[in-house]
Amino acid sequence: MSKVNDIYILAAKQISVQPPLTDEWMDAPVSYGKPYVRSIDPDYKLYFEPNAARRLGKILKRALVTSRQVTAAIGDAKLDAIVTATGLGCIENTELFLDTLARKGEMEAMLKPTHFMHSTHNTIGSLIAIDVRCHGYNSTYAHKATSFECALTDVFVQLESNRIQTALVGAHDEMTPTHFTMLKRTGYLGHAVNGFSGEVALSMMLATTPKESTLCRLRGVEVEYCPNDEALRQMLNRLLQRAQCSWEEIDNVMVGVSGQQANDQIYAGICPALFPGKKLLRYKHLFGESYTASGLGIYAAAVCLSQQRIPAHLFVDRESGEQRGVKHILLYNQLEGKNHSFILLSACGK
Amino acid sequence: MLKKVAITGVGIASALGVGREATLTALRERRTGIAPMRYLNTLHTEFPVGEVKLSNEEMMRALGIPESQATTRTSIMGMVAVREALEHAQIQGKSGLRVALISGTTVGGMDKSEQYYLDFLENDTKNAYIAMHNCGACTEMIADYFGIFSTVQTISTACSSSANAIMLGAMLIADGRADVVVSGGSECLTKFHLNGFNTLMILDREQCKPFDARRAGLNLGEGAAYVVLEAEETLRRRSVKPLCLLSGYANTCDAYHQTTSSPDGEGAYLSMAKALNVAQLAPKDVSYINAHGTGTENNDLSEGRAIQRIFGEEAPPVSSTKSFTGHTTSAAGGVEAVISILALQHNFIPVNLNFASPMPELEFTPAIDETPRTPLRHVLSNSFGFGGNETSLIFSSL
Repeated sequence: MSKVNDIYILAAKQISVQPPLTDEWMDAPVSYGKPYVRSIDPDYKLYFEPNAARRLGKILKRALVTSRQVTAAIGDAKLDAIVTATGLGCIENTELFLDTLARKGEMEAMLKPTHFMHSTHNTIGSLIAIDVRCHGYNSTYAHKATSFECALTDVFVQLESNRIQTALVGAHDEMTPTHFTMLKRTGYLGHAVNGFSGEVALSMMLATTPKESTLCRLRGVEVEYCPNDEALRQMLNRLLQRAQCSWEEIDNVMVGVSGQQANDQIYAGICPALFPGKKLLRYKHLFGESYTASGLGIYAAAVCLSQQRIPAHLFVDRESGEQRGVKHILLYNQLEGKNHSFILLSACGK
Repeated sequence: MLKKVAITGVGIASALGVGREATLTALRERRTGIAPMRYLNTLHTEFPVGEVKLSNEEMMRALGIPESQATTRTSIMGMVAVREALEHAQIQGKSGLRVALISGTTVGGMDKSEQYYLDFLENDTKNAYIAMHNCGACTEMIADYFGIFSTVQTISTACSSSANAIMLGAMLIADGRADVVVSGGSECLTKFHLNGFNTLMILDREQCKPFDARRAGLNLGEGAAYVVLEAEETLRRRSVKPLCLLSGYANTCDAYHQTTSSPDGEGAYLSMAKALNVAQLAPKDVSYINAHGTGTENNDLSEGRAIQRIFGEEAPPVSSTKSFTGHTTSAAGGVEAVISILALQHNFIPVNLNFASPMPELEFTPAIDETPRTPLRHVLSNSFGFGGNETSLIFSSL
């Protein structure tokens, strides 16, 4: 196999239910005792003219602020790609248009073009491109709980093969009260024990050349649909083989348990057999459940690798204290036993 | 150098009919599929549209799906087109191959959401459809009908979605992540986007007139279309012959405005130039351009200028087949890929219907003669989306 590029995560910024644009959750996580939580927004007056702040929906403001904060990480290098993941797209604007259609009918005077223009999933990625003046590759993935992993696969393949050298990857989902009510009916949200529905804005800068700020390395990503036990094992082996990483080297596996019992039971059936002897980590107790929550999982793992410590509250087995020194974190997520993904991150120099 | 990717099958359902034969016949007979509204339940019957002229129930019967099963029109049309593509490529059942489905859509399950929105809010009677609202769920319903896909992904870049699905398919094959990729997209008409485009005032009340000075907007269409991509090793393993090659692809961003193209067509220029570069072709090698050509004032001027910037005074024949199918939005890249492949296989130029008056700003006029100047070797297909998501694909004969 010909030499492929290494891939580095240079920076990652989030706006979520934890304090925005900081890593404070490492030491002072905010807890919520309710099923539906919206993100803590920064003061957008600091980032936008009043007109723009009014015109742009929350999901768009969050995406622009987090993107701007990570683009500086590449310095003078050119941004080659913007790849966005979103399970539901700009659901607030979609709803505003849909609600008017349902209640007022097809009355042209009542329907607002801006709601339609800002309703498509790719509004996010294209507004970022306009904001940072990037003519490069621009794509958007909308595939339920693997939206983010699909986006990551796309840039991984392109970075590794040197088609691009830098990429801004984002995970963005907002959850309106109306859509929460709907998804509660389906059982996906609103029924978790000690869990909640959250929102996501994560921007992450990837590059083939490390910088001072580098958080960690991205070693591999695998996504599959409805694998059986054997296929799931093969998927994991493929990831490790490509990354030339041995199973013994990995101490910690971060999983997407959320408190939603039916889905957590699937993890309970898979994890002991697939990850014997490994310590399990979690992140949805901090950030809640959403289609692109796994973006915040990779962010949390990257911060741990960068700071060389895993705080006690991240361990599924809460008896564990803080762990110092961490070389690799494997992430495993699944939804309904259908959408499965693995991501491997390693500390720099490891 | 990137590996060339072979195409071994196509499947299509559009206003021109179901299947590649019906599509080819309509194109050669210059018979448009754009007609008065018949299936979409809307007050805006003043707009002609390119509907797939079958009800959900008719398509479900043909697929052997019980009519009581909850699903979406986008998924049903997708199943119809994917089935043809798989049969065409001779892929049946569990083959031992790693087969991926990559589908583009933006409206997803909006046809049901707009129908049952108030039920979603007020009661539990339509819960099955809530879970189908998102784009990924619509792709999974297509995948589940066949049960052979180990990778299933959904791209949503508005009107370039399925062109990006085809480009991604090529990249995943080059990376060894799949042996075979079924790439394309599906999108049904909805009141949601018909009214949305109407608020933007870019719908023509008559048949659309791409690249014509009198053009007054687009006609919406619907459909599903997929191509089967595979690496040369897989072709040998399966002993099948390709229809053509996907030799070039590029995705760029206009980064100008959410719904308006830049006056000089910068994004379009970059996507065509990069696709030529990937294919290692010169502009003069292109035998035909299947343009995005929506028929709006803005797109055709911007795209036309970008074509001139690349091809100069010697532009190859250019046409917009949206004058046949309507603008099938997220499915357009797939629909036009299939049309481009049919053009290559049968060596003809799909003409641009409804052309009468040259655009004063452009040197070229759209193709109205189906006889090519030279045998078709390389066809360039453009798909541009809201937000300036521009993608160009190049299909080449063997």
